[in-house]
Amino acid sequence: MPAELLNTVDIDSTLQKEPPQEILRYALSQFDNIALSFSGAEDVVLLDMAMQIRPNIEVFCLDTGRLHSETYRFIEKVREHYNINIDVLYPDGSAVRQLVKEKGLYSFYQDNHQECCSIRKIAPLKSKLLELDAWVTGQRKDQSPGTRGTIPVIQDDRLFARANETLTKFNPLANWTSRQVWDYIRAYNVPYNELHDRGFQSIGCEPCTRPTGPNQHEREGRWWWEEATQKECGLHASNVKKA
Amino acid sequence: MKITLVKKILADGSPCKKCGDVLQKLEESGHMSRIDEVLVADERDPDSAGLQVAKDLNVHRAPFFVVEKEGQAPEVHTVYLKFVKDVLEQNTSASDEALEIMKDNPDLDFI
Repeated sequence: MPAELLNTVDIDSTLQKEPPQEILRYALSQFDNIALSFSGAEDVVLLDMAMQIRPNIEVFCLDTGRLHSETYRFIEKVREHYNINIDVLYPDGSAVRQLVKEKGLYSFYQDNHQECCSIRKIAPLKSKLLELDAWVTGQRKDQSPGTRGTIPVIQDDRLFARANETLTKFNPLANWTSRQVWDYIRAYNVPYNELHDRGFQSIGCEPCTRPTGPNQHEREGRWWWEEATQKECGLHASNVKKA
Repeated sequence: MKITLVKKILADGSPCKKCGDVLQKLEESGHMSRIDEVLVADERDPDSAGLQVAKDLNVHRAPFFVVEKEGQAPEVHTVYLKFVKDVLEQNTSASDEALEIMKDNPDLDFI
């Protein structure tokens, strides 16, 4: 079915009640040109689920050039374990070179992570998504109540859609907790990043990730030197009159 | 083609900084003349035209642009640089566009 015929809001209200496997099944039944975004962390559960439905599903991940060596080893382990091709995306070399030349290798500690992430993550992701009609992410609401508390399981991705076309984004794990993810990993002997055994809950680039202690939220292990800022671009939904 | 810009007034009555930046860029580039209508999404007023348009089109952020072409569903653009490139056909820098996306979408830290 062409994506423009999908009413993502209505479908979301139905799929919200479904387990991740059913959401994935729905996504893969609707789209052929769809790919799964794998971060090299616990979202491997999504990949494991997808393998049961469409073993040749396209998988991609972003190599920012700053990942832990453990994460590189894990990506390779996943590739071998599932016998799949993983499309590893890289940032534009000239953009990285210019950033490093002007600001050094650790500019994010002085200003913030946004410029570096935009070059190393957003730009290659944007290029990749121009090739697709739909993509699947491992986002969960419990990862960051501040920015992900309301993520739908299916959404119209206006940020990365091709001009005058649509891109559909699926977040099958949106309603799962970290506990459920790890129960799945252990129950099905799913391979996982060895950094998790060393206190890393959320895993990103090496300079921007640290282990967390007991009762710390996983997001405290990322960009800990930055203060949370007010996200003023959001429209407060509670103020919008109900129909 | 009709282009509508929806800008926001915060709950405390102050203007949204990003909306001000976008308006300034439109003026400086001479593109303001291409905008047919500017609506206000006033967080203090659920009936404000901008909030109603946001609700109708399922948009959760501002500023944003609505492009209406005869016989077609309205297009929503939430990334300013993507809008000027795709709709106003102005050359933009890919890195600037990526940075705008990153700054405005903190939830993208999952990737």
